[in-house]
Amino acid sequence: MPAAATMSCLVVDDQQTIRSLVRSGLQELGFKAIHEASDGEDGLRHMLSRPINLVISDFNMPKLDGLGLLRAVRSHPPIQKTAFIMLTGRADKELVQRAVQFGVNNYLVKPFTVATLREKIEAVFGTLH
Amino acid sequence: MSFTLAQEPERAASREGEPARKVHVIQGQYHVSSDADLVLTTILGSCVAACVRDPVAGVGGMNHFLLPGEEGGEGLRYGVQSMELLVNALLRRGARRDRLEVKLFGGARLIDGLTDVGSQNAAFGERFVRDEGLTYVGGSLRGQRARRIQYWPVSGRARQVLLEASSQQVFATERPARVAPAPEQAGGDMELF
Repeated sequence: MPAAATMSCLVVDDQQTIRSLVRSGLQELGFKAIHEASDGEDGLRHMLSRPINLVISDFNMPKLDGLGLLRAVRSHPPIQKTAFIMLTGRADKELVQRAVQFGVNNYLVKPFTVATLREKIEAVFGTLH
Repeated sequence: MSFTLAQEPERAASREGEPARKVHVIQGQYHVSSDADLVLTTILGSCVAACVRDPVAGVGGMNHFLLPGEEGGEGLRYGVQSMELLVNALLRRGARRDRLEVKLFGGARLIDGLTDVGSQNAAFGERFVRDEGLTYVGGSLRGQRARRIQYWPVSGRARQVLLEASSQQVFATERPARVAPAPEQAGGDMELF
Protein backbone atom coordinates (compact mmCIF):
# COMPACT_ATOMS: atom_id res chain seq x y z
CA MET A 1 0.00 0.00 0.00
CA PRO A 2 2.18 2.84 -1.25
CA ALA A 3 1.82 6.47 -0.32
CA ALA A 4 1.36 8.43 -3.55
CA ALA A 5 3.43 11.27 -2.12
CA THR A 6 6.50 9.03 -1.88
CA MET A 7 6.33 7.77 -5.46
CA SER A 8 8.03 9.25 -8.46
CA CYS A 9 6.04 9.34 -11.68
CA LEU A 10 6.98 10.01 -15.30
CA VAL A 11 4.35 11.19 -17.81
CA VAL A 12 5.32 10.68 -21.45
CA ASP A 13 3.22 12.27 -24.17
CA ASP A 14 4.01 14.46 -27.16
CA GLN A 15 1.07 16.76 -26.35
CA GLN A 16 1.65 19.31 -23.62
CA THR A 17 -2.09 19.48 -22.95
CA ILE A 18 -2.31 15.75 -22.23
CA ARG A 19 0.75 15.89 -19.98
CA SER A 20 -0.86 18.71 -18.04
CA LEU A 21 -4.11 16.78 -17.66
CA VAL A 22 -2.34 13.65 -16.41
CA ARG A 23 -0.19 15.76 -14.09
CA SER A 24 -3.22 17.46 -12.56
CA GLY A 25 -4.91 14.07 -12.11
CA LEU A 26 -1.84 12.66 -10.39
CA GLN A 27 -1.59 15.70 -8.13
CA GLU A 28 -5.21 15.19 -7.17
CA LEU A 29 -4.30 11.63 -6.17
CA GLY A 30 -1.48 12.89 -3.97
CA PHE A 31 1.56 12.43 -6.20
CA LYS A 32 4.25 15.04 -5.64
CA ALA A 33 7.21 13.99 -7.79
CA ILE A 34 5.92 14.17 -11.36
CA HIS A 35 8.27 14.39 -14.31
CA GLU A 36 7.38 14.89 -17.96
CA ALA A 37 8.84 13.78 -21.27
CA SER A 38 7.66 14.61 -24.78
CA ASP A 39 8.52 11.33 -26.53
CA GLY A 40 9.85 7.84 -25.86
CA GLU A 41 13.51 8.76 -26.24
CA ASP A 42 13.14 11.66 -23.87
CA GLY A 43 11.28 9.37 -21.46
CA LEU A 44 14.02 6.76 -21.49
CA ARG A 45 16.63 9.43 -20.79
CA HIS A 46 14.60 10.57 -17.77
CA MET A 47 14.33 7.02 -16.47
CA LEU A 48 18.04 6.36 -16.78
CA SER A 49 18.89 9.53 -14.90
CA ARG A 50 16.57 9.32 -11.89
CA PRO A 51 14.52 6.70 -10.05
CA ILE A 52 10.97 6.40 -11.39
CA ASN A 53 8.28 4.21 -9.81
CA LEU A 54 5.53 4.66 -12.36
CA VAL A 55 5.49 5.53 -16.07
CA ILE A 56 2.29 6.71 -17.74
CA SER A 57 3.01 6.83 -21.45
CA ASP A 58 1.08 7.62 -24.59
CA PHE A 59 1.26 5.15 -27.46
CA ASN A 60 1.38 7.51 -30.46
CA MET A 61 4.57 9.56 -30.24
CA PRO A 62 7.37 10.64 -32.56
CA LYS A 63 10.91 9.18 -32.40
CA LEU A 64 10.12 6.31 -30.02
CA ASP A 65 6.48 5.38 -29.48
CA GLY A 66 4.93 3.97 -26.32
CA LEU A 67 5.51 0.33 -27.25
CA GLY A 68 9.12 1.11 -28.14
CA LEU A 69 9.62 2.80 -24.79
CA LEU A 70 8.02 -0.14 -23.00
CA ARG A 71 10.31 -2.62 -24.76
CA ALA A 72 13.34 -0.48 -23.98
CA VAL A 73 12.37 -0.26 -20.31
CA ARG A 74 11.83 -4.01 -20.00
CA SER A 75 15.21 -4.70 -21.58
CA HIS A 76 17.22 -2.37 -19.30
CA PRO A 77 17.84 -4.32 -16.05
CA PRO A 78 18.14 -1.25 -13.76
CA ILE A 79 14.68 -0.01 -14.76
CA GLN A 80 12.97 -3.11 -16.09
CA LYS A 81 10.65 -3.54 -13.10
CA THR A 82 9.21 -0.02 -13.32
CA ALA A 83 5.41 -0.01 -13.38
CA PHE A 84 4.18 1.01 -16.82
CA ILE A 85 0.69 2.19 -17.76
CA MET A 86 -0.05 2.79 -21.43
CA LEU A 87 -2.32 5.62 -22.58
CA THR A 88 -4.35 4.77 -25.65
CA GLY A 89 -6.71 6.83 -27.77
CA ARG A 90 -9.20 3.99 -27.89
CA ALA A 91 -9.57 0.48 -26.54
CA ASP A 92 -7.49 -1.08 -29.31
CA LYS A 93 -7.44 -4.77 -28.42
CA GLU A 94 -4.49 -5.60 -30.67
CA LEU A 95 -2.39 -2.78 -29.27
CA VAL A 96 -3.19 -3.71 -25.69
CA GLN A 97 -2.38 -7.37 -26.37
CA ARG A 98 0.98 -6.39 -27.84
CA ALA A 99 1.64 -4.16 -24.86
CA VAL A 100 0.77 -7.05 -22.53
CA GLN A 101 3.27 -9.24 -24.38
CA PHE A 102 5.92 -6.61 -23.76
CA GLY A 103 5.04 -6.44 -20.07
CA VAL A 104 2.71 -3.47 -19.64
CA ASN A 105 1.06 -3.34 -16.21
CA ASN A 106 -2.17 -1.65 -17.23
CA TYR A 107 -3.71 0.64 -19.83
CA LEU A 108 -5.82 3.76 -19.75
CA VAL A 109 -8.21 4.82 -22.52
CA LYS A 110 -8.46 8.54 -23.24
CA PRO A 111 -10.37 10.54 -22.28
CA PHE A 112 -10.29 9.33 -18.70
CA THR A 113 -11.45 10.61 -15.36
CA VAL A 114 -9.35 10.99 -12.22
CA ALA A 115 -11.36 8.11 -10.73
CA THR A 116 -10.29 5.85 -13.60
CA LEU A 117 -6.70 7.00 -13.27
CA ARG A 118 -6.79 6.04 -9.60
CA GLU A 119 -8.40 2.69 -10.39
CA LYS A 120 -5.72 1.81 -12.94
CA ILE A 121 -2.85 2.83 -10.66
CA GLU A 122 -4.34 0.97 -7.71
CA ALA A 123 -4.72 -2.14 -9.89
CA VAL A 124 -0.93 -2.07 -10.16
CA PHE A 125 0.18 -0.89 -6.72
CA GLY A 126 -2.75 -1.54 -4.40
CA THR A 127 -4.75 1.13 -2.61
CA LEU A 128 -3.12 4.54 -2.66
CA HIS A 129 -3.04 6.60 0.48
CA MET B 1 -19.28 10.62 -26.18
CA SER B 2 -16.75 8.95 -28.39
CA PHE B 3 -15.19 10.80 -31.27
CA THR B 4 -15.56 9.15 -34.62
CA LEU B 5 -14.37 9.51 -38.15
CA ALA B 6 -16.84 11.33 -40.37
CA GLN B 7 -18.47 9.35 -43.17
CA GLU B 8 -16.83 8.88 -46.53
CA PRO B 9 -17.30 11.78 -48.95
CA GLU B 10 -20.51 12.08 -50.85
CA ARG B 11 -20.89 13.38 -54.36
CA ALA B 12 -22.16 16.94 -54.11
CA ALA B 13 -24.63 18.46 -56.51
CA SER B 14 -22.69 19.03 -59.68
CA ARG B 15 -23.37 22.71 -60.11
CA GLU B 16 -20.68 24.67 -61.84
CA GLY B 17 -18.14 26.09 -59.46
CA GLU B 18 -19.21 23.79 -56.67
CA PRO B 19 -16.68 21.39 -55.16
CA ALA B 20 -16.87 17.85 -56.48
CA ARG B 21 -17.02 16.10 -53.13
CA LYS B 22 -17.82 17.04 -49.57
CA VAL B 23 -17.83 15.57 -46.10
CA HIS B 24 -20.08 17.01 -43.43
CA VAL B 25 -18.47 16.84 -39.99
CA ILE B 26 -20.98 16.72 -37.16
CA GLN B 27 -20.44 17.15 -33.44
CA GLY B 28 -18.08 14.51 -32.08
CA GLN B 29 -16.52 13.71 -35.46
CA TYR B 30 -13.35 14.54 -37.33
CA HIS B 31 -12.15 13.99 -40.89
CA VAL B 32 -8.72 14.16 -42.52
CA SER B 33 -7.97 14.21 -46.24
CA SER B 34 -5.30 14.90 -48.83
CA ASP B 35 -7.87 15.25 -51.60
CA ALA B 36 -7.56 18.73 -53.11
CA ASP B 37 -11.11 18.56 -54.48
CA LEU B 38 -12.69 17.72 -51.18
CA VAL B 39 -14.44 20.26 -48.99
CA LEU B 40 -15.23 19.68 -45.33
CA THR B 41 -18.38 21.35 -44.06
CA THR B 42 -19.98 21.90 -40.69
CA ILE B 43 -22.56 24.05 -38.93
CA LEU B 44 -21.59 25.57 -35.60
CA GLY B 45 -23.44 27.31 -32.82
CA SER B 46 -21.55 27.27 -29.55
CA CYS B 47 -19.46 24.32 -30.77
CA VAL B 48 -15.98 24.88 -32.16
CA ALA B 49 -14.36 23.36 -35.25
CA ALA B 50 -10.59 23.28 -35.60
CA CYS B 51 -9.37 23.26 -39.20
CA VAL B 52 -5.78 22.05 -39.28
CA ARG B 53 -3.40 21.37 -42.17
CA ASP B 54 0.22 20.81 -43.08
CA PRO B 55 0.84 22.84 -46.25
CA VAL B 56 3.98 20.87 -47.11
CA ALA B 57 2.50 17.39 -46.69
CA GLY B 58 -0.69 18.52 -48.41
CA VAL B 59 -3.01 17.09 -45.82
CA GLY B 60 -5.59 18.71 -43.59
CA GLY B 61 -8.66 18.03 -41.54
CA MET B 62 -11.46 19.31 -39.38
CA ASN B 63 -13.03 18.32 -36.08
CA HIS B 64 -16.17 19.55 -34.32
CA PHE B 65 -16.38 19.54 -30.55
CA LEU B 66 -18.33 20.86 -27.62
CA LEU B 67 -16.97 20.77 -24.10
CA PRO B 68 -19.52 19.29 -21.75
CA GLY B 69 -19.72 20.78 -18.30
CA GLU B 70 -17.73 23.46 -16.57
CA GLU B 71 -14.42 24.76 -17.82
CA GLY B 72 -11.50 22.98 -16.25
CA GLY B 73 -13.65 20.01 -15.33
CA GLU B 74 -13.97 16.64 -16.96
CA GLY B 75 -15.30 18.33 -20.09
CA LEU B 76 -11.86 19.64 -20.92
CA ARG B 77 -10.74 16.10 -21.57
CA TYR B 78 -13.17 15.73 -24.48
CA GLY B 79 -11.83 18.80 -26.24
CA VAL B 80 -8.31 17.50 -25.74
CA GLN B 81 -9.25 14.10 -27.10
CA SER B 82 -10.95 15.59 -30.14
CA MET B 83 -7.88 17.69 -30.91
CA GLU B 84 -5.52 14.79 -30.32
CA LEU B 85 -7.42 12.47 -32.65
CA LEU B 86 -7.35 15.08 -35.40
CA VAL B 87 -3.66 15.92 -34.94
CA ASN B 88 -2.63 12.25 -34.71
CA ALA B 89 -4.59 11.42 -37.86
CA LEU B 90 -2.71 14.20 -39.66
CA LEU B 91 0.65 13.01 -38.34
CA ARG B 92 -0.12 9.48 -39.57
CA ARG B 93 -0.68 10.98 -43.05
CA GLY B 94 2.77 12.53 -43.08
CA ALA B 95 2.10 15.89 -41.44
CA ARG B 96 4.60 17.36 -39.02
CA ARG B 97 3.52 19.04 -35.82
CA ASP B 98 5.83 22.03 -36.33
CA ARG B 99 4.21 22.78 -39.71
CA LEU B 100 0.59 22.57 -38.63
CA GLU B 101 -1.57 25.62 -39.35
CA VAL B 102 -4.80 26.03 -37.41
CA LYS B 103 -7.99 27.94 -38.04
CA LEU B 104 -10.70 28.00 -35.38
CA PHE B 105 -14.39 28.70 -35.93
CA GLY B 106 -17.49 28.79 -33.76
CA GLY B 107 -18.00 29.34 -30.06
CA ALA B 108 -20.96 31.67 -30.51
CA ARG B 109 -22.49 33.05 -27.35
CA LEU B 110 -24.98 30.75 -25.75
CA ILE B 111 -25.80 31.26 -22.12
CA ASP B 112 -26.57 28.03 -20.35
CA GLY B 113 -27.31 28.91 -16.74
CA LEU B 114 -24.54 31.29 -15.75
CA THR B 115 -22.05 29.86 -18.20
CA ASP B 116 -21.24 31.15 -21.67
CA VAL B 117 -20.64 27.76 -23.24
CA GLY B 118 -19.50 29.11 -26.59
CA SER B 119 -16.89 31.34 -25.03
CA GLN B 120 -15.54 28.39 -23.04
CA ASN B 121 -15.22 26.31 -26.18
CA ALA B 122 -13.49 29.17 -27.99
CA ALA B 123 -11.10 29.76 -25.09
CA PHE B 124 -10.25 26.07 -24.98
CA GLY B 125 -9.40 26.04 -28.70
CA GLU B 126 -7.19 29.11 -28.38
CA ARG B 127 -5.45 27.74 -25.30
CA PHE B 128 -4.82 24.39 -26.96
CA VAL B 129 -3.21 26.04 -29.99
CA ARG B 130 -1.04 28.19 -27.73
CA ASP B 131 -0.02 25.41 -25.32
CA GLU B 132 0.87 22.99 -28.12
CA GLY B 133 2.91 25.60 -29.96
CA LEU B 134 0.78 25.32 -33.12
CA THR B 135 0.52 28.15 -35.63
CA TYR B 136 -2.78 30.03 -35.60
CA VAL B 137 -3.50 31.47 -39.02
CA GLY B 138 -7.00 32.83 -38.58
CA GLY B 139 -10.63 31.99 -38.12
CA SER B 140 -13.71 33.39 -36.47
CA LEU B 141 -14.67 32.79 -32.86
CA ARG B 142 -17.43 33.93 -30.49
CA GLY B 143 -20.10 36.41 -31.61
CA GLN B 144 -23.85 35.91 -31.46
CA ARG B 145 -24.69 33.92 -34.55
CA ALA B 146 -24.36 30.38 -35.78
CA ARG B 147 -22.02 29.69 -38.70
CA ARG B 148 -21.81 27.46 -41.71
CA ILE B 149 -18.17 26.60 -42.44
CA GLN B 150 -16.51 25.15 -45.52
CA TYR B 151 -12.86 24.15 -45.36
CA TRP B 152 -10.61 22.84 -48.11
CA PRO B 153 -8.09 20.71 -46.21
CA VAL B 154 -5.31 20.80 -48.80
CA SER B 155 -5.33 24.50 -49.71
CA GLY B 156 -6.40 25.64 -46.24
CA ARG B 157 -9.04 27.93 -47.70
CA ALA B 158 -12.04 28.47 -45.46
CA ARG B 159 -15.39 30.07 -46.08
CA GLN B 160 -17.84 31.19 -43.41
CA VAL B 161 -21.49 32.10 -43.73
CA LEU B 162 -23.16 33.59 -40.68
CA LEU B 163 -26.64 32.20 -40.17
CA GLU B 164 -29.56 34.25 -38.98
CA ALA B 165 -33.00 32.69 -38.93
CA SER B 166 -31.80 29.20 -38.17
CA SER B 167 -29.35 30.19 -35.45
CA GLN B 168 -31.56 29.18 -32.57
CA GLN B 169 -32.21 25.87 -34.27
CA VAL B 170 -28.47 25.20 -34.45
CA PHE B 171 -28.02 25.99 -30.77
CA ALA B 172 -30.98 23.78 -29.93
CA THR B 173 -29.47 20.81 -31.71
CA GLU B 174 -26.30 21.23 -29.67
CA ARG B 175 -28.11 21.23 -26.34
CA PRO B 176 -28.96 17.55 -25.94
CA ALA B 177 -25.35 16.53 -26.34
CA ARG B 178 -24.14 18.92 -23.67
CA VAL B 179 -24.16 16.39 -20.88
CA ALA B 180 -21.21 14.67 -19.35
CA PRO B 181 -20.71 11.46 -21.29
CA ALA B 182 -19.36 8.22 -19.90
CA PRO B 183 -16.17 7.97 -21.91
CA GLU B 184 -14.80 4.73 -20.56
CA GLN B 185 -17.84 2.87 -21.78
CA ALA B 186 -17.21 3.94 -25.36
CA GLY B 187 -14.68 1.24 -25.96
CA GLY B 188 -13.67 0.15 -22.55
CA ASP B 189 -15.08 -3.35 -22.51
CA MET B 190 -11.61 -4.88 -22.49
CA GLU B 191 -10.59 -5.83 -18.99
CA LEU B 192 -7.26 -7.53 -18.84
CA PHE B 193 -6.38 -6.81 -15.25
